[in-house]
Amino acid sequence: MVDLGRVQKELQECNKNMDVSGINVKPKGDSLTHLIGTIPGPVGTPYEGGIFQIDIVLPDGYPFEPPRMQFATKVWHPNISSQSGAICLDILKDQWSPALTLKTALLSVQALLSAPQPDDPQDAVVAQQYLKDYQTYVGTARHWTENFAMVSSRGHEEKVQKLLEMGFAEASVRSALAAVGGDENLALEKLCSG
Amino acid sequence: MGDYISSEDEYYNDYNDDDRDSLDGYQHFRFEGGCQNESAPSSKVITKESLLTAQKEDLHTVMQVLPLGEHHARSLLIHCRWDVERVLAVLVEKGKEQLYADAGVTVVEHDDLSLSKFSSPLTCNICVDDVSTNEMTIMDCGHYFCNNCWTEYFIVKINDGQSRRIRCMAYKCNAICDEAKIRKLVSARDPNLAERFDRFLLESYIEDNRRVKWCPSVPHCGNAIRVEVDEFCEVECTCGLQFCFNCSSEAHSPCSCRMWELWGKKSQDGSETVNWITVHTKACPKCQKPVEKNGGCNLVSCICGQSFCWLCGGATGRDHTWTNITGHSCGRYKEEDVNKLEHAKRELSRYVHYHDRFKAHTDSFKLEIKLKETIQEKISKLEERDSAFKDFSWLTSGLNRLFRSRRVLSYSYPFAFFMFGDLFNNEMTEAEKEIKQHLFEEQQQQLEANIEKLSLFIEEPFHQYTEDKVAETRMKIMNMSAITDNLCKKMYECIENDLLGPLQQAIHIIAPYKSKGVEKASELPLCWGPNAGDSSINDEGGCSSRKRTRIGRSCRQSH
Repeated sequence: MVDLGRVQKELQECNKNMDVSGINVKPKGDSLTHLIGTIPGPVGTPYEGGIFQIDIVLPDGYPFEPPRMQFATKVWHPNISSQSGAICLDILKDQWSPALTLKTALLSVQALLSAPQPDDPQDAVVAQQYLKDYQTYVGTARHWTENFAMVSSRGHEEKVQKLLEMGFAEASVRSALAAVGGDENLALEKLCSG
Repeated sequence: MGDYISSEDEYYNDYNDDDRDSLDGYQHFRFEGGCQNESAPSSKVITKESLLTAQKEDLHTVMQVLPLGEHHARSLLIHCRWDVERVLAVLVEKGKEQLYADAGVTVVEHDDLSLSKFSSPLTCNICVDDVSTNEMTIMDCGHYFCNNCWTEYFIVKINDGQSRRIRCMAYKCNAICDEAKIRKLVSARDPNLAERFDRFLLESYIEDNRRVKWCPSVPHCGNAIRVEVDEFCEVECTCGLQFCFNCSSEAHSPCSCRMWELWGKKSQDGSETVNWITVHTKACPKCQKPVEKNGGCNLVSCICGQSFCWLCGGATGRDHTWTNITGHSCGRYKEEDVNKLEHAKRELSRYVHYHDRFKAHTDSFKLEIKLKETIQEKISKLEERDSAFKDFSWLTSGLNRLFRSRRVLSYSYPFAFFMFGDLFNNEMTEAEKEIKQHLFEEQQQQLEANIEKLSLFIEEPFHQYTEDKVAETRMKIMNMSAITDNLCKKMYECIENDLLGPLQQAIHIIAPYKSKGVEKASELPLCWGPNAGDSSINDEGGCSSRKRTRIGRSCRQSH
C-alpha cells in the first residue's frame, strides 16, 4: 500500500515553501493517491510565464516504485508527448530512488523544460523540429505556452465548474478540456458532439 | 586397418563394463576410431543439488583472486554474467576500482559500518519518521534507512524479478545491497519470499550464464547443462534427452539451428499445402474457391456452377468441343505467370524430394532401434554356443554406429534443401551452387550406400553361422562402421569448409561431428572443495559411490 503518512508529510513540506519554488502538489479528489502538481515554466525559456499542471498517480508501491506523472497541460517539448503529455525522464523510470520525493521529481521535470534532450525524444516530431528548425520550435513552444499554459491555469477550475453546471460528468469535462488545451468553447463543442 | 581393429579391441574390453543404457538407442562411445582426437566430455549436468556447488566453484575462483566476501563475488559475477574470465579481463583492463564501481561492489572497513556513532533516534529519509538506530540498517555504501522501509523496498524489488541486482535506496547510489541483510529483513516479514529470493540468486547462475541452459525436457527434469567451450554443440542430459545446446531443440546437426527452425516451420505451417494448391488447382473466377481438375477437357465447372478455362483461368460459357471452348482462346503466352507457376512447382518437388528422404531415414532409424532387442537375442544365442567368441561388443558398437550415421544422414536432407535452395541466392551463383550441390550429394550418396550395407550386415542371421562366418561378419561390420564414421566426419568437414564456411551469413553454425554420438553430460560432483577440479577427487564429504565410479571412469578416459 501507498505510504500515506509519507505522502502527507511530502505535501506539507512541498506547500510550505511554495512561494520560493512555485511548485505545489494538491490532491485531485479525496484520495491521496491521485494528485495534481503545478510547476511554473522556467524563466528564459519558451515556457516562461506558463503554469503547467501535472497529473500524478501514486502506485501501490510508492515510494518504492516511481510515481506516474504526465502533463495535463499541453506542452510542446521534445521529451514530452504533445498528444498524451507522457514524460520521458529517467528518474520516473529505472533511475527512481525511494529517497526522491514528489517535489524533487517535479523539480526534475521543471529542469527538463529548460534543458530538452532531443537525442532521447518522447515526441519525434518536436525533436525533429528542435534539431532542424530551432526558431520554429521556439515559436511553437511559445505559442502553446500562451494558449494552453496561461489560459488553462487561469480559472481552469471555474471552467470545469461552468461545464459541470451544464450537466456534463466531471471526468468527461476534464478530459475534454485537456484534449482541446483548455479552451472552454472547444471543450463544449467536443462534449456536445459526444 | 590392422591398427584400427586392434585398438578397437582394446576399447571393447573397456566398453564392456560400461553398463549404461540410453533410452533412445544411442549409446555413448568412449572410444574413437584411431584418427579422432576428441576430448573427454566437457559438458556437465547441474542438478538442483549441485547448483550450489557449481556456483561456489566460480565464486571461489573470484575470491581467490580478489579479497572479497561471497556476496561481493556474486555481485561481480552476476554483473559479468558468470563469466569468470571476463571478471579477470575487466580487472586487468580497467583496474579493481572501476570493476567494483561498475558492478556496484563497495568494500568497506567493518568499523565504519555501524550506526552506533550516531545518536539515536535518526530520521529515515524514506518514511521521514524518527527511528531508533536499532531499527535501522546501514549498507556497505554507508547509506542507512529504517528496517521497515528497506523491507518494503526489497519486497517490491523481489516481486519485480530484480532479486539479482537490488541497489541501495539512496538516489544515484550504485551499490548492490548485501544479500545477507536482505535475507534477514525479508524473512522476518515473509519467510516464503526470502526463500524465493535465495532461489533467484541461485538460479541466476543458470539464467544469466551464457554457458548454462536449462534442459528442455518436458516434463522438466530439473537439470541444467553447462558447456565448457563451445555453445554450438549437442548434449545429452542425464534424463536421457538429447538437444542442441544453442537452440534447445532436438539435436539436428548437420542442419544449422536456423535451417532446422525453418524446416520445422515449413512442415508445420502448411506452406507446402499452399504450394500444392498453387500447382494443382486454379481459383474459380466467380467464387474464388480453388478448383482441382479431375480429368477431362480444359473446360472446368466449379461447384458454384461457373465454367472456366483450365488453361487460363478465365470465365467461359458452357459449350465446348474436345479441343476448344466456343468463342474462347487463350493461346497467348504470358511469361510472368508461367515463371511463378514453374517456381512453385519446382520448390514443391524439391521439398517433397528432401522431405521424403528425411522421413524415410527417420523411419528406418525408428525401425533399427527395434533391432537392438533382436541383436541381444542373437547375442545370447551365440553366447550359449561353445565358441571362441566371448565378446560381442562389436555388434552393439556396430549397431550404435548405424544409429548415429543414420541420424546424420536424416538431417543432411533438410540441410541440403536449404543449402541448395533459395536461402543463399545472393551469396552463390547458380553455377557455384550446382558444383557444391554435386560435391555434397556425392558424399551423401556414398554415406547412404554404406549405411544401407551396414544395416544389412547387422541384420544377417549370424547366430546360425559357423565360427568362420561369424568372424567374417565381425570384420565386415567393423570395417563398415569405420567407413561410415569416416564418411560422416568428411560430410561435416565438407559442410564446414566448403559449404557454410565461405558464406557471409555467419549465422549458420553447426555443432561439430562427434564420432561418439551426442555427448553425454557428466554429473557435477555434489561435494566441492578447493581441489575439486583435480581428477584425484576425494572420498570426503558425501560423494555417493555411484558418483565416484563415474569420476573414476572419466579419469581413465583422460589417459
